[in-house]
Amino acid sequence: MDIIFFIIFMALFTGMFSIIGFFGYKKTKTAEDYFVAGRKMGSIVIAFSYGATFISAVALIGFSGIASLYGHALLWLALLNILVGILIAFVVYGFRTRKMGLSLKAVTLPEMLGNRFNSTRLQATSGLIIAIFMIAYTSAVFLAISSLFVVTFGIPYEICVVIFTVVVGIYLIVGGLYAVMWTHAIQGALMVVGMLILTVGIYGMLGGVGPAHEAAADMTPIELGVPLGIGTASNPWNFSTGTLAIDKVSNFNHDAAGFLIDTINPLDGQINVDVDQNIIIHFSNKTAPNTKQVSDRFKYTCSPDPGGWTEEWNENYTQATLSHNDFQSGKTYTFEVTDAISGLGSPAGALAPSGLTSMPPMPSPPFLMLLTLIFGVGIGVLAQPQLVVRYLSAKSEKALKKAIPYGGIFILLMTFTAFSIGPLCNVLMAENGLFYPGTPDRVVPLVIEEVFPPWFVFLFLFAVLSAAMSTASALFHTAGASIGRDVYEKGMKKKGSEKKSLKITRVATLGIVIATLIISLNPPDVVAIMTAFFFGLMAVTFLAPYTLMLYWKKTSKAGAWAGMLGGFIFTMFWYVLIYFKTAPQIIGSSMIDNYMVNMLDPIFIGLPVSFVLTYIFSILMKQDKDEQKLMKKSFENI
Amino acid sequence: MILGMGIWVFIAWIGTILSAVLCLLYGVYHWVMKPDEKKSSEVKNKQSKKGG
Repeated sequence: MDIIFFIIFMALFTGMFSIIGFFGYKKTKTAEDYFVAGRKMGSIVIAFSYGATFISAVALIGFSGIASLYGHALLWLALLNILVGILIAFVVYGFRTRKMGLSLKAVTLPEMLGNRFNSTRLQATSGLIIAIFMIAYTSAVFLAISSLFVVTFGIPYEICVVIFTVVVGIYLIVGGLYAVMWTHAIQGALMVVGMLILTVGIYGMLGGVGPAHEAAADMTPIELGVPLGIGTASNPWNFSTGTLAIDKVSNFNHDAAGFLIDTINPLDGQINVDVDQNIIIHFSNKTAPNTKQVSDRFKYTCSPDPGGWTEEWNENYTQATLSHNDFQSGKTYTFEVTDAISGLGSPAGALAPSGLTSMPPMPSPPFLMLLTLIFGVGIGVLAQPQLVVRYLSAKSEKALKKAIPYGGIFILLMTFTAFSIGPLCNVLMAENGLFYPGTPDRVVPLVIEEVFPPWFVFLFLFAVLSAAMSTASALFHTAGASIGRDVYEKGMKKKGSEKKSLKITRVATLGIVIATLIISLNPPDVVAIMTAFFFGLMAVTFLAPYTLMLYWKKTSKAGAWAGMLGGFIFTMFWYVLIYFKTAPQIIGSSMIDNYMVNMLDPIFIGLPVSFVLTYIFSILMKQDKDEQKLMKKSFENI
Repeated sequence: MILGMGIWVFIAWIGTILSAVLCLLYGVYHWVMKPDEKKSSEVKNKQSKKGG
């Protein structure tokens, strides 16, 4: 049945997007149409397209899962997403980018840099950096969404990857940016509906905003996942159905932060135990057992084993009663609890030490982790090449201005809701006896599967698929333009007619789609960590030359090169050698064994370095006459 | 605790909502208070296309 629904939904998606792709094809006459939708886009489409490009499946599923571990403190990122990602991005960068892009006749960020600084090499190099890392990032997006569909529908991973890539590839290559942005509007609407129902549903189940947050605040680290210990009770312990029992074998005390097995029955050393006497274990704190998976959370051995064990819990989940086949009379038994976990088994107990609705203490590792996430993504958004294209596609400055409220509301309905419901999922997991599913990405899907009706599970999955497709199509488009326009045409000086240019970019985009498909089918380990550093890498590489190009007339070609390459090289070194998430996966361990340093996003150091390099080199190696002419031209509309 | 949230989390929570309201007000300001901007912006756009 699930498969049938999947096929029906996918057929609808494919049909709808193919029609849009066809209309896009009809509208696409020139290269400018393909790259920036003829610079004719209105405010609503811009806002939805910007938002749907910005918010990927990783943001919806991955970051809400991260919020379930770190708590509502992640809402600072939602604040930056709107304040920086929309308001500052559009007002400080968007308007000028559009005007300068028009003056310089640029359709991509690398082309703006190249035309402003009179350097096709600068354009080709930045295009190459963008294309290479975008292929890996797009593969990561497909990997995440395909894995989700594999778990839910049981469809083989390879089939999911092929279907998603082919569907996106077709409407993108045929319809260009028109098709991409129109489909974004539909995909964005689906994302809004999905997130709205999810948020209203979860707050409704928990009794409204205040009660829901209070319930999350009341969850103690122990309830969330600090391991259960074996405390005052003996473990293992002996008892006998005869008149003789050996002395207790050990009195094992586990360091368990106060969550203990405190009484057992029969007692250690007890004799004349009835052959049908149940084993009763009392816990000092409430557990949150999942009745379906009780054996996973509480393991024990009995020697000799009478067999026929069943478990029953009291109403408060503080006491487990184990019944069994009759013991043999006149025998001594040794019983041992071998494994037990408390709460949800979630790392949230350790990662949100002050509770789910408070900031972690400063400067603890969870605090630094949040800081790096909040600023890495929150500031990094300003220099994403795929988002810059949205400014360039606007039909007027007024359209960009009118896109701001739509964009603000869209992001509010995406990240604010996602980061709000993440921590609340812990409450629902506890109430429904669910365990932490092993990775944060699975927290929200697990809760949805268990507490929402099946129709919403489908709707939400396709909302997440929309988020993945919209981001992937924008990345394909930007990467294709980078290779076709920036690297091939400009870098290799193969510029031809409009038609030829269009053809080259379509072929380049097809190449990007195929490369992504190949990588997604056999993803190397580095792909999985791409989402962690794509935003940071783009920001540290491009933000300084991009900002100074827009606002400082003295920025020179040498400055742009220095800022871009300096930022890129620094970030790569930081991620490979130092950053706590990526360095262990690449070289085994971070070279700096201090979390105050190795948990910092490269944006904290790399961005100032890149700005300083751009400034110093612009002062030392000033603009030549050609650059000055281009500078004047680029500012003539501003 | 305000609405079940610690003070710094509450600031982020209310700040996010207010940021969205700010975006909304920005849009309203440009719709209602500056309706003539569209014309001048389009004219400028056309001029720049001709000039470029």
